[in-house]
Amino acid sequence: MSDLANLNAVEVTGVSKIFNEGKANQVDALLDVNLTIAPGEFVSLIGPSGCGKSTLLRLIANLLEPTQGEISVNGKTAAQARLDQDYGMAFQQAGLFDWRTVGKNIELPLELKGWNKKKRAARVAEMLDLVKLQDFGRMYPWQLSGGMQQRVAIARALAAHPPLLLMDEPFGALDEMTREYMQGELLRICAETSTTVVFVTHSIPEAVYLSNRVVVMSPRPGRILQVISVNLGSKRSELTRAADGFFRSITSVREALRGTHAQHVASTAIRGAEDR
Amino acid sequence: MKLMRRLAYRTFMFAVTLGLIVALWELYKATGPQDGGLLFGVRVLPRANDTAMPHVSTMLSRYGRPEVRGSDKKIWVVVLSGAWFSLRLSLVGFFLGTTIGIGLAILMARFTTVRRGLLPYLVMSQTVPLIALAPLVVSWGGKLEIGSFVWPRWLSASILGTFLAFFPVAVGTLRGLTSSPAAAVELMSSYAASWRQTLFKLRFPAAVPFLVPALKLGASGAVVGVVVAEISTGLKGGIGRLIIEYAREATGDPAKVFTAVFGAAALGLTMSGLVALFDLYLMRNRPKETST
Repeated sequence: MSDLANLNAVEVTGVSKIFNEGKANQVDALLDVNLTIAPGEFVSLIGPSGCGKSTLLRLIANLLEPTQGEISVNGKTAAQARLDQDYGMAFQQAGLFDWRTVGKNIELPLELKGWNKKKRAARVAEMLDLVKLQDFGRMYPWQLSGGMQQRVAIARALAAHPPLLLMDEPFGALDEMTREYMQGELLRICAETSTTVVFVTHSIPEAVYLSNRVVVMSPRPGRILQVISVNLGSKRSELTRAADGFFRSITSVREALRGTHAQHVASTAIRGAEDR
Repeated sequence: MKLMRRLAYRTFMFAVTLGLIVALWELYKATGPQDGGLLFGVRVLPRANDTAMPHVSTMLSRYGRPEVRGSDKKIWVVVLSGAWFSLRLSLVGFFLGTTIGIGLAILMARFTTVRRGLLPYLVMSQTVPLIALAPLVVSWGGKLEIGSFVWPRWLSASILGTFLAFFPVAVGTLRGLTSSPAAAVELMSSYAASWRQTLFKLRFPAAVPFLVPALKLGASGAVVGVVVAEISTGLKGGIGRLIIEYAREATGDPAKVFTAVFGAAALGLTMSGLVALFDLYLMRNRPKETST
């Protein structure tokens, strides 16, 4: 683990993904994608529906296999990284298990790793602290608000202290106020745990506020159009949202997306398909 | 406290429904044709005379009188012990049926080939008439020799209960096991969880809301199987046997058969009551929308 810092957190090389290859409903989801993410980086994937950003995330997670190309995570193959639980994952629906208490939900990945009870309890307490839900460990997920549920999902994803966090529109279902609060919390958590994050989103301000780099993708077949560096420093706060640099970055992401807009409208009019 | 209120409400509704049924019975008895009636030339209206439709009060008071004239055994004691006998057989049948049903569901959820191959036969098995199957089971059981194990006659009745109980359990559990949300399944595979871990930590708990109605059907299936088996194999001691014995006396003592029929109904209610308690226990910590 000592040379982890020297390895790239994620390396995507020449990856294409075609669903239902050779059939009538063939979908070219991704085409020749190359992306390298350094440890500790926060990278957002943004693009119109159907640009394959969720597909790319699932390829990194080894929940899908690429049709072409290679993916490595922490210097291992994606498959090995999944087996080693080198990443945690959070989805748009918090996806907590109704029948488990909040604490038990966070414990799930640790149980699967075969940790003993004492070690698990200690880690759950630590994670509850991290997401500021100390008093909610014994409650059930359905007794919590949407934002709190999503914090539990983040705690669960980070419970095993994975070096990488993969997030698929985790705040998409939250209201704007909660969403901004959660963005701040996520940055704090990632800074405290020095976790690398790959973050899929539809929201330009969200991508800019959170990221070191924003990866702008084109509609089907999904390609990387542009990678925009966001220079807002490592310490971001509510003031960042009013900073000039913030708006400049938003504008450049928007322009990169606009370049694809006309194309996008035409293609969705024909296909109208979803991005998964 | 909420639980008590729900129980009280359910009991109240049950009593109201029962009262309505009694009222309807007595209403028809008072107004219906004594010797049955024709409706559009077809004899469909049942006879409303005392032989076919005894008063509810007659049926109830029959419980207090002896089973046969001159005996000191009150009929409620006989019916109760018959129901108790059948209940035990039903529980054995239900237990076996649930075990087999859940086992089959796991196999079918695990292996698509098993599901494709097996499911049509399971459906077909339920079309075999129980009456035809009963003597077969008895004779197979009689020939069975496993060490010092001797096949008791009552076990044949339980097996027929099993036969009716396993099917709804298998189908319901299978549906439940395959109902886990895609995101949850993805989450488990992101943890590199084994199939067995996914089964016990996700699929089974997620299947519980589907399991409970299946168990209710299974429980009543077990009762029907046992009662029918008692009748068709002539097994003594159970409520099924009482029904067929008392039915023979229907002309002389019409209320008698109803005492046994109500015993069978109480038996079914007891079984589904047990499942309902199990339901309350399993769903105690779930969001209330899903537990009805």
